[in-house]
Amino acid sequence: MLHEKLTAHLLEVQKPARYTGGEIGQVVKNPEKVDVRFAFCFPDIYDIGMSHLGMKILYSLINERENYWCERVFAPWTDMEEIMRKEGILLYALESGDEIRNFDFVGFTLQYEMSYTNILNMLDLAGIPIWQKERGERIFPLVVAGGPCACNPEPLAEFFDLFILGEGEEVNLELMDLYHRMRENGATRSEFLKKAAGIEGIYVPSLYEVTYHEDGTIENIMPHDGAPEKIRKRVIPEMNQAYYPEKVVIPFIEPVHDRISVEVLRGCIRGCRFCQAGFLYRPFREKSTETICKQGIRLCENSGYDELSLSSLSTSDHSQIETILDQLLNYTEKEHIHLSLPSLRIDNFSQSVLEKITTIRKSGLTFAPEAGTQRLRDVINKNITEEEVLRTCKIAFEGGYTMVKLYFMMGLPTETDEDIIGIAELAQKIVDLFYSMPGRAKGKLQISISTATFVPKPFTPFEFEPQAEKAEILRKQQLLKNAIQSKKIKTSMHISDVSQMEAVLARGDRRLCAVLAEAWKNGCRLDSWEECFQAEKWYDAFKTCHLDPAFYANRKRSYDEIMPWQHIDYLISKSFFIRENQKAHAGQVTPSCRQKCSGCGANQCLGRACF
Amino acid sequence: MKDYRMIFTKTGMSKYISHLDLNRCMFRAIRRSGLPAWYTEGFHPHLYLMFPLALPLGVESLCEIMDFRLNEERPEKEILEKLNAELPEGIQALTIHEPKMQAQEIISAEYQLCFRSEMNLLPLWENFMQQPEIFIEKKTKKGMIQIDIHPLMNIKHMTSGNQKLCLTLQLPAGSTQNVNILTVAEKFQKCAFQAISIKNIRRTKIFSENFQEFF
Repeated sequence: MLHEKLTAHLLEVQKPARYTGGEIGQVVKNPEKVDVRFAFCFPDIYDIGMSHLGMKILYSLINERENYWCERVFAPWTDMEEIMRKEGILLYALESGDEIRNFDFVGFTLQYEMSYTNILNMLDLAGIPIWQKERGERIFPLVVAGGPCACNPEPLAEFFDLFILGEGEEVNLELMDLYHRMRENGATRSEFLKKAAGIEGIYVPSLYEVTYHEDGTIENIMPHDGAPEKIRKRVIPEMNQAYYPEKVVIPFIEPVHDRISVEVLRGCIRGCRFCQAGFLYRPFREKSTETICKQGIRLCENSGYDELSLSSLSTSDHSQIETILDQLLNYTEKEHIHLSLPSLRIDNFSQSVLEKITTIRKSGLTFAPEAGTQRLRDVINKNITEEEVLRTCKIAFEGGYTMVKLYFMMGLPTETDEDIIGIAELAQKIVDLFYSMPGRAKGKLQISISTATFVPKPFTPFEFEPQAEKAEILRKQQLLKNAIQSKKIKTSMHISDVSQMEAVLARGDRRLCAVLAEAWKNGCRLDSWEECFQAEKWYDAFKTCHLDPAFYANRKRSYDEIMPWQHIDYLISKSFFIRENQKAHAGQVTPSCRQKCSGCGANQCLGRACF
Repeated sequence: MKDYRMIFTKTGMSKYISHLDLNRCMFRAIRRSGLPAWYTEGFHPHLYLMFPLALPLGVESLCEIMDFRLNEERPEKEILEKLNAELPEGIQALTIHEPKMQAQEIISAEYQLCFRSEMNLLPLWENFMQQPEIFIEKKTKKGMIQIDIHPLMNIKHMTSGNQKLCLTLQLPAGSTQNVNILTVAEKFQKCAFQAISIKNIRRTKIFSENFQEFF
């Protein structure tokens, strides 16, 4: 049951249903009858976390085991945090209302760097010491994390007992089984951690020592107590056999994505050089049409949702996409369900695919050309041409679309002013195209350009690159604004201070743990929310810790520098990234994996060629 | 096509589900139930659902109303069972029947209102009610207006004691005139200048003319 202190104040906060639990689909078990309790923590508010697919998968997976219980925990919004601190309410899990400090596992998913201070805040709200070394020898609670940002977990190394690398469907249960056995035998925390480090995909940061050169770069990363030299991520080789839930928790309040998702494929064949996800989730693996349709229909029936999303990094790259759409549309049209395809590529966006989705929903169309000129698109290996963009827009305008959203990045390697002006020119060509079409859709044309500052990420060919300085980004933003002529084109640009912090944390080392703790102590949390982000407090934290954000964000790394994530193995070889980096600077493109294998190394886990 | 009216409870933690969220919750419950729901005609068909009287967030109820349509007639018992299987804790369908009255016929509602405080609440309440007028602010299309709720409050029953005060109170409800029970409770808290907490508010009845229960 929820705390009485809490219910007395629930009407004082926005959207109290964020904090009550009780949704349809939640799993409630008898605490007396479960052996291991797992608090799945999403380090942002409910509205964001409840849209996250990975949580839905792992929540159901753990709960399928009768004697394990996984519950959900989210970061409170500022109004609720204030009440919790004032009333002494400790962070609790939504299903049971129990304080998570008594759980066996407190597991966070690392989805984006700017959620890191939320982790510290949530641990503190839970009454759990933020520093790993202060948690003592009692085996629980084990504070663990997984998710994409675990590929460089170093800025969080001193807060966590262990990190889970790669796909969690198998390793999470292996880890819980080991814990269950060892706890029964009275093992201590450090005994457990040493043993856990032997499971493939488990990284125990306290078993590694990092030394630094005088210039601040890393000298060495050395394992001790038998920990492996390299920790390899886990992969589920066959997607049709991968666990997928049949039921999900259905939130009362509207989350950012209020729909049900079926994952259609993992990995990406494209190799865009800026895109971390495109490399982290390799190798490319599809689910069969049959699996996708079966899972999609089952989820719709069990949830009552009227929107089904086919989710992946690039859904139109599924080899059977048209068959999948045909089969699913047979069901969804009859059942009044909208089918949505969030990630389509411009180049294979065929007339028939477009027709299929327009029968269902006619809203905006979103493209991500990422760069304004062909030269720069070649550099980043975003293999789409202006011709393809215009051809697709033409199809879309004929199909009744009048809203086009275009995503770009600023500050890409080798970028010049010409490339920035190219963004405005491309948008203008789309405007001109619209008005040149006699058969264009009725309605007001609206082109929105959204630009984000490029953040170099680990495990990409751009991991060596410096991020553009703030002043340079501001200048380029102004340049772009001046270059836009048409009133039909609207722009929105990302704040660059956030991007710099993101760049720092993405490629940071262990010394940043102190900065994170300091920033959080200064009051930083919910940093991905514009109204909460406080740049000066972050810069102050760096000063206090005698570290320079520019060292992490704006410095070019040599190919032979030891990266903070050197001991983490995501299957893709460093020599591949160096090769791709060189090709980028030479303006050479790399064909998609389906056209030609570029030898990244990801297929070693499959023991065969990907295609 | 067949119209149905559901009378349902909204108690316990489900009182924190907002009106908009309740709409989505019911929509999905009907879809999951497998009942042959009726969809509106037209370009964007949607499931027809109607709530004749909204309930403020944080207020419990024993008598909420939802109207919906099925493509074909089904036994009321079957509908009741199928929907109850899909409803969250605290929300329970009590009856399913053919609507007998129109939504516009709703004129008032009855509430149970309980306050708690460190002090004796009865004299505070008596002071409150002895005021000649009790004005509350109300947002309308023309901006904020002042309404005297004193003549609109029909107190049917009152018990007090042990730092507790419970009232049974009837207030205008519906499309012609509506007084939000929460604003009444908050007005008392404010006028008393004392630390008074609202223990619970619960809607118990909805009336049409002549004190007939809405059905």
